[in-house]
This record gives sequence, C-alpha cells and structure tokens, in this order.
Amino acid sequence: MIKQKAILRFSSSTVEEPITYILIKKYDLWINILQAKFEPGIGGKLVIEIRGDRKQIDKAFAFLEEHQVKIEFLEQEVFWNEKKCNHCGACVSVCPVGALTINKENYQLEFNYQECVVCGYCADACPVGAIEYIF
Amino acid sequence: MGKVKRTFQEINDKIARKEAVVMTAEEVIALKDEQGIAKATKMVDVVTTGTFGPMCSSGAFFNVGHSDPPIRMQKVWLNDVMAYAGLAAVDFYLGATQLAESERNDYGGAHVIEDFVNGKDIRLKAISGGTDCYPAREVEATISRETVNQAFMVNPRNSYQNYNVAVNQSTQKIYTYMGILLPELGNASYSTSGQLSPLLNDPDLRTIGIGTRIFIGGATGYVIWEGTQFSPQSIVDKEKTIGRKGAVLSLVGDLKEMKPGFLQAAYFSGYGVTLYMGIGIPIPILDEEMLRAVSIKDEEIYTEITDYSYPHLAKPSLGVVNFSQLRSGHIVINEKQVPTSSVSSYAKARLIANTLKESITKGEFFLQEPIESFPLKQDFKPLNTSRVQ
Repeated sequence: MIKQKAILRFSSSTVEEPITYILIKKYDLWINILQAKFEPGIGGKLVIEIRGDRKQIDKAFAFLEEHQVKIEFLEQEVFWNEKKCNHCGACVSVCPVGALTINKENYQLEFNYQECVVCGYCADACPVGAIEYIF
Repeated sequence: MGKVKRTFQEINDKIARKEAVVMTAEEVIALKDEQGIAKATKMVDVVTTGTFGPMCSSGAFFNVGHSDPPIRMQKVWLNDVMAYAGLAAVDFYLGATQLAESERNDYGGAHVIEDFVNGKDIRLKAISGGTDCYPAREVEATISRETVNQAFMVNPRNSYQNYNVAVNQSTQKIYTYMGILLPELGNASYSTSGQLSPLLNDPDLRTIGIGTRIFIGGATGYVIWEGTQFSPQSIVDKEKTIGRKGAVLSLVGDLKEMKPGFLQAAYFSGYGVTLYMGIGIPIPILDEEMLRAVSIKDEEIYTEITDYSYPHLAKPSLGVVNFSQLRSGHIVINEKQVPTSSVSSYAKARLIANTLKESITKGEFFLQEPIESFPLKQDFKPLNTSRVQ
C-alpha cells in the first residue's frame, strides 16, 4: 500500500471524461482531491493524493497516459532552498495545513512535504525566494 | 559586599586580557533565574544581543573613482537601479528599496547591495550634461567590491525597538511589509528578536548612543545618530505600563567588510523590495540595573496588535500580546485562534549574538562608551499635507 501525491493535467478533450470515477472504480484507488481547476474548452488540473496497491497505481497511470493526461509527481513542485532560507518563518502562518513549522529548539524552519497540498501560498509569502513553486 | 559597578574601561581591560565573561541575552536569562540579580551581575561582564529583520531604511554611499575623461555624474544606475547622485562627481547613495527601472518589481537596491557583498560584478551607467572640467557625458563600467574606493552603509532607521503585530480584519488578503496578511484575522505577523533584541535589552539606552561599536552585516560598525522617527515611549494597556517601543538607530558600517548571510535582499509580494540586516550590539553589565534589563524574557515583552487593513495613519489596536505567546505559533484575538509568523529570523539573531560573543571573548571586539546619549523625550510628527491622494 503506497501513498503518492500527483498533479494531473488535462486537455480540453480529456476533461469530459470521468477520470476520478475510473481511478476509483476500475483501479480501486483511494483518491483525495487536494486542488482542482477546470476551464471549459481549455483544460484543467487536479492535485490528488492516491493510496492503493503499487500495481494498481501503475496500471492507473498507464491508463491516464493513454488518455493524454500528463502526470507529475508532487515532490518536485514545491522546492525549499535551504541555502537561501533565513528561517524567518513568514511562510508558517499562511500554510493552510501546517506543513511549515519553526523548530522550538533551534528556531529553524521545518518543511513537512507529506502534509503539503501544493497551494503555493508559502512561495508567495517567502521574502527571500527560498521557496519555489512550479505550477 | 557592595553592589557591583563596572566601567567600560574596566570591561575593555578584561577583554584585552581575554578574561571577559560574555553571554548572549538568552543565556543570561537562565543565569539570572538560577543565581539571582546580585550574583549574576558579579558573574557577567558583557551581554550580546542580535537581530536579523527587514530594515527598509538601509543603503550605502559609494565612491567609484574617476573615469578618463572624468564625468560629474548627474544620474547613475547600478544594475539598472537608480542611485542618488546629487553629491560630488563620483559619489552617490544607493537605497535598499529603490526598484530597477525595468518592468521587474522584485529587483532593487537591496539586491545590488547583496550582489556587491557577494563579490559580484555590478554594471554602472552614469550620464551628465557635461561641464568644462568634467567633459564626459556618459560612462559605462563594471564595478565590484574590489574596484571601488569606498562603499559604506549608512542606515538611518535600523534596529527598531519593539515592532507591533500586524493583522488584517478586512475581507481581502493584503500584501504588506509585514508579509501577506490573511483576511478576517487569518494570521498575525511580527518582526523582532524579542529577548535577543538590542534595544529591548537596554530599553532606556543607557549604554547605547553615538559611537557605540556594533556588529553590522558581519562587519564592525557604529551607531552614528538617533534613527528617524526616534520616539521612545511606553506601551500602556488598561492604564498600566507594560512595555517600551519607539527607539531606533542610525548605523554606519563598511560594506566592503560585510559578509554574505548577515544581510539579505528581500521582496515582499505585493509590497516591494527591502534589505534584511543582521545587527548585534554588546551591552556592558555596568550594574544590577543593566543585568535586570538584559535578563528580560519573551514572556515579559509585550507589543500591540494593529490592524494593517485600516487605510489611515492611526490604526486601531486590538490589544497586547507577549513574544512567548507569539512564538508558540498561535495567539488569541477576539476569542479566535490566530496562527503567527515572524518576519525576522530568531535563528539568525541567535547566530549573530553568538558570533559577537565569540569576538569579544577572543579579545577581538571592544566596547565603545557612547560619546553622546540620545535624549529620551521625543515625539515624532506626522506630515501635514496640502494634498494627498
């Protein structure tokens, strides 16, 4: 059983299909939708957390690729540059899920990627560009 | 045994012999709690403080030397950021918040200053109407910390004593110099190093005045004047004085000696460019009163909560809160749990206090008694406009 976050990008043709339903029903995957954005005639994007059997997930991704859905794995989307970070903590209070905290011993920033929902608010809030958000 | 009294000279003599006992403003808190004020005063000679926060009123004077033929610069740009050239021929001042001329709003004087400290090449361009003795009308050059004659920072408003907490009661997100403030008390932002803060550890400025030697941006510098809008005042809550705020300093330091990591350019989304400055001030423990001052804790330091969405000068206050509460991650305002963010780095403040402690312990940094003290009774005035829109 694995947990995986991914971004699915849809073109306007695919966006008509019940992709989420198929992932759940056909491939028996637990899907949590973290973000969704769709524009009729243009396409859209889903940020999801998937839990399920590794083999089923692989089959599901193959199905998605056949249907021209682009898949990206989440760890690459929000990048914390520890060299630039000055540990001010400006990002902490804008994070809606508490993925960013200041350690109470060394007062340094800690970034819990598991909790991150890739909203990008931290990247907006960071005054020194230590958080990059590629959306 | 009488109460301890030390002088700056006695402390400096000890520093010269590498015998001075130096602690950071955090370490001295535990000492005072364990030993009491009298004993602790006997044990410590110097307490170091530190802060690393955004300080907009920062910038540097440059002299880049003369070209051949020479130019009297009337307008000058460094990496496309305009500096103020209304001085002698090749003297100019670059301010931290000045933006680049191009469309970019996230590159400004602060970035040029940081690039300069990092040893990078900086593109210079200057123009002039030309004079008989300064015939050149346009120059382009590459300068760096190796090529310039002087580059020294003069910051008219640094190390403010006790900044307020910023919140937003409106229904829209707002973008401020205190960061992004979420609507309807969605978050609260503060900017101070609290118990490590220079001016909160000597709130009456007994030992800090003109000439005080300081750590600035990784180099040695000095306090040269009161800061702009200098106005020490009490914070009163329910008719009780619970804190101090309002003092601020003008500082000078050699930009060519500063080190990367102790100053950092910043861009606050939707607001503009500024410069994080690392400042550290050593406080001599002259007597028990000084020890009492430097052993102040975060939970004893109060500040006011201010609504930054209010479009007028005097903003409504939503009460007071202390720094221990702010650092816990949440404060309560109007019965609501509000997550908090610091805009200044406590981790770096600690590093600065420790770096300064090491220099003094090793006999490499001496304390300078102020040449003049700052008068504490001052208010700051508003601007009476004939027109504002």
